[in-house]
Amino acid sequence: MPLIMLSLGESACIRRISGPPPVRARLAELGFVVGERVTVVAALGGSLIVQVKGSRVAVGHDMARRMMV
Amino acid sequence: MAIRIALAGNPNSGKTTLFNALTGSRQYVGNWPGVTVERKEGKLKAAQGAQGDDVIVQDLPGVYSLSPYTLEEVITRNYLVDDRPDAIINIVDGTNLERNLYLSTQLAELGIPMLIAVNMMDVVRKQGDRIDLNQLSAQMGVEAMPLSALTGEGAHAVAQAAVRLARQGTVPRPLQVFDGPVAHALAHIEDALTHRRHGHHHHGGDVRRQGEAMPAALRRWYAIKLFERDDKVLAQLRLAPDVRRGIEQAIADCEQEMDDDAQSIITNQRYACIQAMMHDALRRKRAPGSLSASDKIDRVVTNRVLGFPIFIAVMFLVYYIAVTTVGAVVTDFTNDTFFGAWIIPGLESWLSNVGVSDWLSGLITEGIVGGVGAVLGFVPQMFVLFFMLAILEDVGYMARVAFIMDRIFRRFGLSGKSFIPMLIGSGCSVPGIMASRTIENQRDRRMTIITTSFIPCGAKLPIIAMIAGTVLGGAWWVGPMCYFIGIAAVVVSGIILKKTRHFAGDPAPFVMELPAYHLPGMGNVLRSMWERGFSFIKRAGTVILLSSIAIWFLKSYGWADGKFAAVEDMDHSILAAIGGAVAPVFKPLGFGNWQNTVATVLGLVAKEEVVSVFGVLYGVGENALDLVEEGAFDQLAPIAMNFTSMAAISFLTFNLLCAPCFAAIGAIKREMSNWRWTAFAVGYQTVFAYVISFIVYQLGMIVTTGFQPVHLLPIALLAGLVYLVFSPTPYGHNDAAPQAVRA
Repeated sequence: MPLIMLSLGESACIRRISGPPPVRARLAELGFVVGERVTVVAALGGSLIVQVKGSRVAVGHDMARRMMV
Repeated sequence: MAIRIALAGNPNSGKTTLFNALTGSRQYVGNWPGVTVERKEGKLKAAQGAQGDDVIVQDLPGVYSLSPYTLEEVITRNYLVDDRPDAIINIVDGTNLERNLYLSTQLAELGIPMLIAVNMMDVVRKQGDRIDLNQLSAQMGVEAMPLSALTGEGAHAVAQAAVRLARQGTVPRPLQVFDGPVAHALAHIEDALTHRRHGHHHHGGDVRRQGEAMPAALRRWYAIKLFERDDKVLAQLRLAPDVRRGIEQAIADCEQEMDDDAQSIITNQRYACIQAMMHDALRRKRAPGSLSASDKIDRVVTNRVLGFPIFIAVMFLVYYIAVTTVGAVVTDFTNDTFFGAWIIPGLESWLSNVGVSDWLSGLITEGIVGGVGAVLGFVPQMFVLFFMLAILEDVGYMARVAFIMDRIFRRFGLSGKSFIPMLIGSGCSVPGIMASRTIENQRDRRMTIITTSFIPCGAKLPIIAMIAGTVLGGAWWVGPMCYFIGIAAVVVSGIILKKTRHFAGDPAPFVMELPAYHLPGMGNVLRSMWERGFSFIKRAGTVILLSSIAIWFLKSYGWADGKFAAVEDMDHSILAAIGGAVAPVFKPLGFGNWQNTVATVLGLVAKEEVVSVFGVLYGVGENALDLVEEGAFDQLAPIAMNFTSMAAISFLTFNLLCAPCFAAIGAIKREMSNWRWTAFAVGYQTVFAYVISFIVYQLGMIVTTGFQPVHLLPIALLAGLVYLVFSPTPYGHNDAAPQAVRA
């Protein structure tokens, strides 16, 4: 299911990331890679704040829906 | 020759803090990723271990990788690859080691002497985690040293080690990041790159410059970039078609074998390698995934119910303090006591004592001190505003604001990151436009640069106050209306520009690291305030000083009785002649006399000039700005006589939206780094301002004079505008990819 379906405080492993190469490269360098465990810290209208590799990253709705967990 | 040492690391990892500690420079450090948007150089202080040779320290923009997607990445990568510093200090955030080392593995491939400075070691210890630096050194193949840039602990040792490395020129031993089919493919590409050079030698010594310029140490790096199908590197190397085909085949084979795309393969192997290192080097106390204090604050501050009200309350508080309470008190002091009671009378009596001629005394007191002083009167208020914003930034709240605003800004084609430039732009457009650099997508950045100066800046406030106080009888709604016009202009422009070819496409997807909250550091807050405030003072000292003199000349001299001389009556001045020639252009907007034209044109020098010029041209005196600030609107009555209400609103609208002051145009040019885009921005703003003022004035005239056939034109224009806003976009919602920046 897409990352945006996770509820607050829930963690899950990333299964798949779709999108054009630049988008995936950007996500990857921030730590969003397949197999990585992420935790949802906050959600605001489809946008998320996610804990990944020890840092907090804000991802907009259109980024969040590209990540399957 | 000087030794050059580069500081490289993730955004917000403490590069600038270390830079300041090493060079004694006073660069502003923000708790906001992307504070350093260009390279900064400084000399290593003697106290930090510089001896004999000069050591130049280079602060590079923070990047997450050496991919070519954002402007910062391009700047950093070009410097490291093309200018090749003598050593790299790679600063990594110890509290976020794993993600930070992703960049380190790439830096280690550049074949440049390097060391890793693990920053925030004090925080790491406080969290109860332990980093085994010896293990990390052994695994990374480069020296790893502890650092606490904030306290300066370890800075000296890091600098000395870097100087030593630069002298020795020891290149890091290659990391064993890649294995299996990837290693095989990379070896194949490296081979192809090497043979290409020899091949050229055989065929009559036709060696391409790029081929010659590629140091052997960089071959590995180029091979990896080719494997990732990096457009820029491909374009730069200009490989022969058969070499390219061979390389592409090797990549395709590897992709098939690994069942993944090339880019992901490289990324995954880097992270796998780092994970293995972490296993030996890091002992974590806190279980990964558990919530830190920052996460708990974020739960409240970015909460779906509370997030927005909290944001509004914070912004209201900032403006309330900056504009009405503290700011007003400080501004009053500057204008009344500092300039009014100390400087100007003192200067006048001093000038008459030394026996300076009348015209020179006039130039100095009226032209220079009057003009520049009026501008400086706003400085305290701006300093208070910048101080408050600096606190919010340093604490870490500003990054959250971008997140909260993204949802809203996205609707009209901007990203949440556009909010910060506009917020800063409400103080002064110059730093506002400069802040647009943190927006990685070029379209979004250009759009933000074009629209930022629509938001009324501090210097436009006196115009608003003057019009409201004199012509409109102090109506309370004028101020809010101006902000509304500004915001509406941003929204409408965003929507319209998105429908043009150059801006088509959705805004870049929003991803942004949120820094951990921390208490504001006073030194840093004051530095930020000073840096932004000073850019404004500098402007007053240069552009405004020169233009004050020029204007004083233009309005004091002219043709009277057939000869060129000093004129008593300004109607005869050069300025009046110029204004009279241009004035008909503004007739349809309702304010087409030469005085208004001159004021508008001089507004390009600095927006608050409009008020000063009005004061002079309408015979109020030199101190119109002071009068506006004091609220002495009865003394400004002569201005009101020249305007109807509608003409005043039209004049105000035009001056709010048209081309900003020269300093801001200069900032636009700097950020666009392109004259055509700068011309487009200024042209768009001015035409937009003209159209809106025309519609406002002419439609207002319908109310007063009744409908006449000429009013069909403004109605048609309004209909056209509405159509542009609501019509479907001709270019569709295509690629949402962040465009690669073309450097």
